[in-house]
This record gives sequence, structure tokens and C-alpha cells, in this order.
Amino acid sequence: MLDQLREIIVNYVDVDAASITPESRFMEDLGLSSFDFMTMLGELEETFDIEVDEAEASKIVTVQEALDYISQLQA
Amino acid sequence: MKVYHTLKDLLVGAESAYGSNDVMRYKVGRKEVASKSYTDLKNDSEKLSAALEKLGVLGAHIALTGKTSYSWLLSFMGIVNSGSVAVPLDVSLPADELCELVRRSRAKAFIVDETRLDVVEQVKEHCPELQYIISMQKEESDEKMLSLNQLLDAEQPGFDTEVKPEMLCTIMFTSGTTGKSKGVMLTHQNLADNATCLDMKIPDGTVILSVLPIHHAYCLSMDILKGISIGSVICVNDSLLHVANNIKLFEPEMILMVPMMIEVFAKKLQDAPALPPFIIRKKVFGGKLHTICSGGAYLNPDYIDFFAKYGIKILQGYGMTECAPVISTNLPWDIRKGTVGKLMPNCEAKTVDGELWVRGSSVMQGYYEMPEETTAALQDGWLRTGDLGYIDEENYVYLTGRCKNLIITKNGENVSPEEIENKLGESRLVQEIMVREKEGVIEAEIFPDLDYVKKHKVKDIQASLQALVDEYNATAQSFKKVYSLIVREEPFERTASGKVKRF
Repeated sequence: MLDQLREIIVNYVDVDAASITPESRFMEDLGLSSFDFMTMLGELEETFDIEVDEAEASKIVTVQEALDYISQLQA
Repeated sequence: MKVYHTLKDLLVGAESAYGSNDVMRYKVGRKEVASKSYTDLKNDSEKLSAALEKLGVLGAHIALTGKTSYSWLLSFMGIVNSGSVAVPLDVSLPADELCELVRRSRAKAFIVDETRLDVVEQVKEHCPELQYIISMQKEESDEKMLSLNQLLDAEQPGFDTEVKPEMLCTIMFTSGTTGKSKGVMLTHQNLADNATCLDMKIPDGTVILSVLPIHHAYCLSMDILKGISIGSVICVNDSLLHVANNIKLFEPEMILMVPMMIEVFAKKLQDAPALPPFIIRKKVFGGKLHTICSGGAYLNPDYIDFFAKYGIKILQGYGMTECAPVISTNLPWDIRKGTVGKLMPNCEAKTVDGELWVRGSSVMQGYYEMPEETTAALQDGWLRTGDLGYIDEENYVYLTGRCKNLIITKNGENVSPEEIENKLGESRLVQEIMVREKEGVIEAEIFPDLDYVKKHKVKDIQASLQALVDEYNATAQSFKKVYSLIVREEPFERTASGKVKRF
């Protein structure tokens, strides 16, 4: 799942997929704007067939937190 | 295109011209689309006016919060066309701030979207002038809240009262440079003139996707009021998560955006495989999009040429809530890169000590219950914009910088550095702090309280301050989050009067 997420993230920012770790923070470390982040969440909905709650998702800071959130929705 | 001077004339005029045409389309569930007509909107808003009369709050201030929706739109129109004053509030505000604005606006009723039921108890306790809370979704009224649907069901269309251009129409809150938000008072004429005085030659029936927050003057005036006045179909974007999908679903011809969104779509266009531009345009923008209006913040002019390759015109404009809000805009047949367009026909401008001053029928009446701030902003009918700039002999506006201390983020939100400085400064660990913009995001520079550090044996100052910033970010609205932290080893340089030197 991490690799899938990496592939999606690199569509929004110019970073090397391999440099994205679970600890990377979307905005501070990877440089996503708030709208990049929102659009990416929309893409995650399609990719992982989930329905993201905007308020819950706005608490996500790191890649790991996003992975946990996706897993939780898929469970 | 007709010019209107009240929102009542605007809605009545639009309904008589476009009656059964769709005024709004919105999603029901994930993919289904429902719609409402111009006649529905006029009738439902008149029913709400009648309900407000029955509740005895006609002429009062009525607060309103929620995402863009048909309920929001009919409520706004019902409030202002009954001679009452709408106070649109940001649905994403933390509960205590939302409550504070309901209180400060002296609202007698509060119409609220169900996503913000968390503020209901709070406003009941802290807003003594508030008499009614009306839920946009609730099916039946109870002792806590009235149901908007039930109120409408009990009334008939046909409410009529005289609405004059000079009557107060709305109070819209905007970030103040002192950290306290200011309620911009706009009349019917301020808004109606702004929305209708410029003929942009947009045909009726044009499909618009509304993606910006509806409590913002730019969205309210240009997407909603201008849209209605020219018979547009306003499609509701249900969430920022779904902009890309909703573009494909509604196939809009025009979208109002802020520069941050334009940047994201530019990346999508760039990353598309090497295909002819019209195919890429269809893939990314649904094929019908021909115009993006941009405002709220600075846009790199290179995007204008870049989007033109795909047959999409970007019309950059300029404005502020205090001017209801558009001051100038580029036009589809006359785009001047590097400018923010031509002055609106109802607006004149001059430069005083480098600062742009504007005057005209869209300039606000003042800030609600803030006489000192009003005097500072308005001088003999001229509005001091706080922006550095000038106009050329053809009335094109050029902006060169800013003289007010306000951060304008790429999504067009205005942030007061003092507000964040005050919040973070509450920590004993912070002795001095300065918040500013860096490359479109917010940066905080902090000089720690070294006595406190010593006394409490703080080992890692950087980590402790980062923890403080993280704690603040956890509850801050996304555009107010601090993305970068610098820890100083020396205090800040100070001005002669003892203030921290900002620049």
C-alpha cells in the first residue's frame, strides 16, 4: 500500500518516490499545498474504493497516518 | 445583461427571464444529480422571508453557516430580500470562533448546516441576543432547533417588502491586521452593482462549477450573484476532495478559482501523456471548460500562456471584501498579462504614497462596530486597499506589493500574523515571535524565553517549540497552519518605539 501511495504522491510534488517514508509529513516535508492534499485524498477514494471523511482526514499529518486511515476504512 | 441595484430586483429579474431553467445543480449521493429552478429559488426564498416575519426577526441580523448548498442559497436570498441582514460565516471555523462571530454580529437567528451542530450548545450559552437556531437538514422542529424545511412548508411564496439599494444587506467577516476579524458592512447596492455592472458577454445557461467557499465575497458575488443575474447554471462542488471528479460530472464551462487550485491543475496538465491538447483538456477538464476566473491572491502570469495551449482562458482579477469584492478584472477579449485587469465600471482609483485607493458604488459602509478601523480604512469615500500599485491611462491596474501586514495565502485566504503570534505566544517558552509568509506558506520565527528554558531544564528547545507548533496546527484551519519553524539565538531587532521590526 505504501508503494501505491508513493506513486500517487509524486503526481503532486516533485520528490523521488523512494525518499517518501512513513514518517514523511505531507505538507511540511513533502511540500503538498492544502489543495494538493485534498485532491490527493479524492484520488485515494478512487484508488482504494473508500469514502474519506473530510474532517477526519484533515487531522492526517504523516504518510503512516494516511496508510492507517485507509486500512481502517477498508476494514 | 441588466444592471441591478438590489438583490431583490436581481432575483425577481432573473426569475422572470429564466423561470424554469436550472439555477443550481448538486450531487445527491455519490453520482446522482438533482436541480432547482430559478422559480424554485424565488419561491423558497420568499417563503423563508415570510417565516422570518412570523418569528419576529424581520430586519434583524441573521447568521448563516454551511457549505454551498441550495438551502444556504435560499436562506441567504430569503434573509436579504426581507430587509434583514445576512451574516455568512466560515463553516470551517473552530466552534469557539464561530460562536464569537455569532455573538459579535448580534444575530437574532442562526441558520446552521448539520455538520456544525457542535456549536449549537455553545451559541445558546454565549450569545444572549440569539433567539432562534434553525437547522438546514432537520426534518422536525424541537425545543433545541427549528427545522428550515418545516418553516418553509408552513409558508406560501409571495412575500414582498420594499428593499432599497442603500439598505444594509450583509456583514462579511474578514481577517483584521490586529488579529481580530472585522465585519465588513455591505449594502444591496454594493453587492448588486459589483455583480452586474460589468458585462462579460457570458451567454445565459452557462454552466459554472462553484468550488470556493460561499461565505467569501468573491464566490458570493461572482459565482452566485453574477451567475444568477445572467441565467447561469451553478453546480455545487460538494467537497474539495472531489473537484477533479465533479468537473467531469458537471462539465462546467467556467470555474472561479484561487491560484493554489490553478497550480494543481497545471501539474495535472503537465503530467498528462503526450496527447493532443484538446484530448488532455477533455481528460482533465471534461472538454467544455473555456474560462477560469482567478482571484484572491497573486497568480504567476506564466500560467495564462500555459492554459491557453489547452484552449482555456485565465482571467486574473483583483478585489477585497471591503469592495464587494471585485475592483478590477481581465476580460476574455482583452487579457493583459502582468495586470490584474481593468477597473470595474463602477470604480475609480488613485495612488496615494504608493498605495492604491479606490472609490465607487461597491465600497463598504464600514466595519461593524469598529469605528477606529473604519476611519483608518475609509477617507472621504476612498477605500485604502493596503496594496501598493497604480493604474495606467487605460484604467488597467498593476499591483506591486503590500503595505498592510496581512498574509495572503495562495488559496486567497487572508491571515493575520498577529493572530497566530498571539496564540503561540501564550506559551511560556516563547519570548518573541514573528509570523510571516514564505513561498506561499506560513513560517514562524521564535526567540525562546531562555530563563524559562533554564528553570524548567528544557533539553531540546527546537523539539519543544516544534511540539508547540504541532499542537497549534492540530486544531488550526488548514490555511492558518505553520509549516516552517525557525528558532532564533538572538532577540529580534526592534524599532525606535520598541516594536519588533517586521521587514
